[in-house]
Amino acid sequence: MSRPSSWIVHVDLSSGKVERKPVKEGVDSAFLGGSGVGWKLVAERLQAHIDPFSPQNLISINPGFLVGTLTPGTPKTTVITKFPTIASEDGKHYIGACTGGSRYMGIALKRAGCHHLLVTGKAPHPVYLRIRDGGADIVDARGFWGHGIEEVTNDLVRREGPETGTVVIGTAGENLVRHALTIIDKTNSLGRGGLGAVMGSKNLKAIIANGTGDVEVAQPTEFMKVSEALSNYVLQWPKREHWIKLGLAAGWDTFKHTQYPGIWPKDRWDELYGEKTRMETVEDVIACNSCLLGCRLRWKTKGGEYDGEIGFGSPFSKSATSGMLLGVEDHRKMIHFVADANSRTGIDFYTTTRLIDFVTKMYELGRLSKEDTGGLELKREYPTYLKLYEMIVNREGFGEILADGWMRLKQEFGLDPQDYWYAGICKGVDFIYDARPSNFHPLMMSFFTRPRPHHGGSHTRTNSRNKTIEEVREQVERWGLAKEVVERIFTAAQYTGKFNVGRYTSHMEDMMRVKNALGLCSIYTYQGLIFGDDMTRLYNAASGESFSAGDLIEHGERISNLAKMVNVKEGFTRKEDKVPDLWFRPMESPEGRIEMQDYYKTKTLTKEDVEKLLDDYYDERGWSEDGIPTRERLEKLGLEAYLPGLAKST
Amino acid sequence: MSQAQFEKERLGTLVISASNCRGCRSCQLACSFAKFNVFNPAKARIVMERDVQTGHTAPMIHPIGCDLCSGDPACAKACQYGAIRYERNGKEYKIRVCQ
Repeated sequence: MSRPSSWIVHVDLSSGKVERKPVKEGVDSAFLGGSGVGWKLVAERLQAHIDPFSPQNLISINPGFLVGTLTPGTPKTTVITKFPTIASEDGKHYIGACTGGSRYMGIALKRAGCHHLLVTGKAPHPVYLRIRDGGADIVDARGFWGHGIEEVTNDLVRREGPETGTVVIGTAGENLVRHALTIIDKTNSLGRGGLGAVMGSKNLKAIIANGTGDVEVAQPTEFMKVSEALSNYVLQWPKREHWIKLGLAAGWDTFKHTQYPGIWPKDRWDELYGEKTRMETVEDVIACNSCLLGCRLRWKTKGGEYDGEIGFGSPFSKSATSGMLLGVEDHRKMIHFVADANSRTGIDFYTTTRLIDFVTKMYELGRLSKEDTGGLELKREYPTYLKLYEMIVNREGFGEILADGWMRLKQEFGLDPQDYWYAGICKGVDFIYDARPSNFHPLMMSFFTRPRPHHGGSHTRTNSRNKTIEEVREQVERWGLAKEVVERIFTAAQYTGKFNVGRYTSHMEDMMRVKNALGLCSIYTYQGLIFGDDMTRLYNAASGESFSAGDLIEHGERISNLAKMVNVKEGFTRKEDKVPDLWFRPMESPEGRIEMQDYYKTKTLTKEDVEKLLDDYYDERGWSEDGIPTRERLEKLGLEAYLPGLAKST
Repeated sequence: MSQAQFEKERLGTLVISASNCRGCRSCQLACSFAKFNVFNPAKARIVMERDVQTGHTAPMIHPIGCDLCSGDPACAKACQYGAIRYERNGKEYKIRVCQ
């Protein structure tokens, strides 16, 4: 059998028109399927410089090419849109990709014969979109508007059947809070940076799918042979037994060092938010489709005012970090906060709690007054945080400003986001990790080189501490990079530490594009369980292609360049790929001074060092010093048609 | 006794421990693949019960059409969370049957 055919379903919410067309011959092969093709559709159909909240904005939803098959860990769906985060002082917005796994949604889309869902327009009243075999219909959702995510998900699944996959927004998305996200199947978040608000702007409360068809592969026997061998390897992972008991709550021993906000001593943090509290709270691990390393959680709070509260997702890491930032010692209060954000309002917990931390401090320092906050006294205490959270969700009073994010604070009050003291901010998004406790590894770099500053599948071996240079090297060698490329990455210079993070990051981002196009969860790659050569065998058996690992990553490079070009069209250049100033200010903590060092802690990195690494990143990509793809590189990748006015050769 | 049931008893039994189910649906994908060379939960001889309120899932073996893959059931091989286990004859018969 040849490569299974794939289809695009386009729904225009303004006119109610639904179209279903096959993907043109050769496109799947050139862009791998999934989000690779999704980016091509966005590049061709999304008009530049539109408001993200305008009906012209487009949402492109792409289950990975391998979603719905039986593999170890390919459940991811990638969504591409123009995000409403205000990314620059002159009001630019990036076009980015976000990715999330699921038990029901991804496979239900595939089974409905919907490999790429495009949503444009704006419905005249609240609706939900139902994807069924061979098409879609638009259903009145006025009764759901104003209701929370969990309640709506439960109702939709009861109404539409147990196979139904759901992507639902909460009240924050309805109110166009720029950092509202969506929740898939109640368990997985999707779309930091405002996907929820884009759906809200379209009056789109939910997207559901419940197809019934087959998911096929080109060479079934070979596919299962490869898949079984990979599964057997993953099952031998020594940490699996612990992992499937705690899911994403595992790994505190790494987390407490790499994501340390530097306010409490680590022992204190350990006691308040560590392994013990996690063991007490986790009820069940929930696995995405076909995953051998289930990581999502069903948890239950024990004791305190929220005793018995049940929630879904992964509340532990984010509650631990924000708990320290906000000075909330009772982990149950912070878990309740996460739970409400996931189950009701659909607001991004990271950004919300950090904005609250920032304005509270500014109030304490007298840089914000009661007049600025509309009479609200910003006390450093939990009830005030909850009050402010509600005001943000409802765009009420001072919350209306915070609902527009970091840049609006600068515009209104002259408060510079670069003055915030944890993680760092770029393109209007606060990073979830800080490069000072984490050390400067490729994921940190991709936070400011990627169009959308979030991990989105970029994890690699160096996310964990203490990996040997051989392990780090294996990560790139097994993705089929040429020997001379590997040598460039591992040739140290005075400004690099033991390897060149700039050069590494460019290829790591290409790996991420491949993983997202195929639907592979990055937990498997950062734990060193699945590599590019494995994915090549799976991809070939599923598609009938005869690619090498090098071919696969070159396709990833094509997708990376296309994503970049879409953003260059919006005016993004090196100026926006800005390294946060914060990283060069040492963190003064009870554990001592923490400076940003390279992964192996051989040196403290200066701003000049990181700028040189950024030069190397662009050089490795064959882009100009301004961070713009060159005509030569685009021609090599077959992308020359996508934008005029390119930079000249480097 | 029907032939199908005779075969099941002769070969062995599928033991379901629903509380171990993590909802990955690998059993359904493996079953439909073993029977039809495609991935499709609707073609599997396993129905996945879902309680959307609690998030719990539980596999149930369909009473018709499961031939235990001639003594090497694909679902039990695919389940890595201990929710479906194959026991050869001589053990307790505990198949959960969908109504």
